[in-house]
Amino acid sequence: MSPLSRELVKYPLYLIVHPFNGFWDLKYERSRKINLLTSVAILFLLILTSIMKNEYSGFLVHLANPDDMNSLLEILYVVVPVLFWCAANWSLTTLMDGEGKFVDIFTSTCFALIPLILVNFPWIWLSNVISLQETSFYHFSGSFAILWCMFLLFVGNMTVHQFTPSKTIGTILLTVVAMGFMAFLCLLFFSLLQQIVAFVSTIYQELVLRS
Amino acid sequence: MLKSFKKRSAYLLIALCGVLGIASGGTLAGAEAGPAAYNYSFWGDTAASPAAYQATALINGENLKIGAFKDPSDIQVTANQIYVLDSGNNRVVVLNSQFKLVHIIDSFVREGKKDTFKNPQGLFVTNDKHVYVADTGNLRVVHLNPDDKLAGIIENPKSELLQAGFKFQPVRIAVDKARRIYAMAAGVFDGLMEFSADGTFTSFMGANRVSFSPVDYFWKMVSTKAQRSQMVMFTPTEFTNLDINDEDFIYVTNGQESDNVKKLNAQGNDILRKEGYFPPEGDIRYTPADGPSRIIDIDVADSEIFSILDSKRGRIFTYNGDGYLMYVFGGLGNQMGEFKSPAAIERIGDDFLVLDQALGEITVFQTTDYGRTLNDAVRSYYNGDEERSFQLFQKTINMNANLEFAYDGIGKALLRKGEYAEAMKYFKQSKDQPYYSKAFLLYRKQVLRKYFPALMTTILILAICAFLLKKIRKIKGGKKLVSTQQRAG
Repeated sequence: MSPLSRELVKYPLYLIVHPFNGFWDLKYERSRKINLLTSVAILFLLILTSIMKNEYSGFLVHLANPDDMNSLLEILYVVVPVLFWCAANWSLTTLMDGEGKFVDIFTSTCFALIPLILVNFPWIWLSNVISLQETSFYHFSGSFAILWCMFLLFVGNMTVHQFTPSKTIGTILLTVVAMGFMAFLCLLFFSLLQQIVAFVSTIYQELVLRS
Repeated sequence: MLKSFKKRSAYLLIALCGVLGIASGGTLAGAEAGPAAYNYSFWGDTAASPAAYQATALINGENLKIGAFKDPSDIQVTANQIYVLDSGNNRVVVLNSQFKLVHIIDSFVREGKKDTFKNPQGLFVTNDKHVYVADTGNLRVVHLNPDDKLAGIIENPKSELLQAGFKFQPVRIAVDKARRIYAMAAGVFDGLMEFSADGTFTSFMGANRVSFSPVDYFWKMVSTKAQRSQMVMFTPTEFTNLDINDEDFIYVTNGQESDNVKKLNAQGNDILRKEGYFPPEGDIRYTPADGPSRIIDIDVADSEIFSILDSKRGRIFTYNGDGYLMYVFGGLGNQMGEFKSPAAIERIGDDFLVLDQALGEITVFQTTDYGRTLNDAVRSYYNGDEERSFQLFQKTINMNANLEFAYDGIGKALLRKGEYAEAMKYFKQSKDQPYYSKAFLLYRKQVLRKYFPALMTTILILAICAFLLKKIRKIKGGKKLVSTQQRAG
């Protein structure tokens, strides 16, 4: 293992068990370029995990209708929430005297997602060799991963913006509300766009058919 | 020569056209044979299915030469006799299993005088041919002997459970082997009225629960007393029909939003098994405008198979004892095998009789090859004949690969045989997680038992090897150490 790749693998693993030191280093000590690279890699792995989970999970924990399987949508389900979260958090914290830049927020968010990959990835295969009674372990570890991830998100946010814990919790709650607003605006925008496109194409068709 | 050849080729052409015509005509006729049959997949999609039943005959008053049926409302089958309750004509028509007229019951002698029915709505015939008629217009239940002599009458029951001025209007009845009478009466929301064999009212049983949403509760809380008095009363719904099976369990149907079929035990609790993909309540896919099925009759056959009749779309749904939908047939329309306003269903052997109230006729449905195989498969599975049900379910799947619960039958037979890996495949097909898990556990045990000794031996050998290697290295390293020490010295 070359020193660089060792650093790439070792540091994220260090971060998830020592979040306070880890996130500090992430913001103030480490190269931004490598952080960004790792973040994208983490996102990619998370997408891979969720797609594989959808396709290869055991029959006892995951009943999927083959007609509803769509790997492209799985990418959206991972990327869109992360980007929404970052954008909402950034817009809020700039107003609330947060010290984090958008890059910091993005990298810290991505690093906080590591437990989801680490816990869920092996369970894709393990879920194929468990019985119905043992599925409670599967569900337990899923919830555990989510809780861990939420804790990391909290610590990451706190460190990046240099907030107090209570202020961080407030910001996070407000961020979720802001995400809701953004989702609403996006839906509105796309539905209007769709109508405009439909309108233009109808006029175009009229012109073409009449001439 | 050339001319004759031309002539011959013309004949050939005509013949060819004829053959083509017959072929295409044949397929057309097949397509017109009735509404398309379907079933529901695990995901709630309609899946095409072969027809399990086909309409084969129509029976009405005219072809029995007794005058047209007028608003017939109920039909009962017992020991090769068919009893049709011809409500509009106030008579009971008895047919044999060949649909030939046996006799007509239109009156009986009561206290020396001739008495008749008045708009009777319900009919029940016991296995020993005692006839019970819910004589709705006369507010009574009439019990006749097999020889049409009056054996008993139930009129305005008395009990402190009943309100003063209670008007007993029986609509449907059923009688169990102990001759207890269960009557469904109009305007009674407390359940079925139970009468002892001598006709005294004993109790109510199996009332529907009141369904009550939190929203309603909220509005009731905030509204004034005057407003509240104008609101709809929350009373339990009435039953729409009932039937009784060989083991004296009563099956009832009602016309609520959900929970429309119940199997009542002696205490009035619902013990119907609902392990199918969907609750046994008719159509599960419908437009909001049409709404769910309205179930108005139920017929319980052997092996816990039961069929319900949907008056909204005129379809008959048949379920097995576990609540899996077996097949659907019927519909509203003008073709044979479709109805205008179906009112009652009954089984005679494996054939179905469907009574149409508006047209006053009975449609006879007989099994197709597919329906017969499926019936037999479910029956032999119920009776514990694994081998036979395995073969029959295999045959059904060959005819209808979409029938998901049939895979379950095959899987269970394989599980019993000890072919766990194969059984797992079939349980996966039928989406049966508990049984899949059961098969998987046994399979895992089998595999581990096979490979565990070899696995453990390898691990042990490797461990010993590692241990020895470490020892050897230590000894060698020690030597090296000694030699360097010596050199240093």
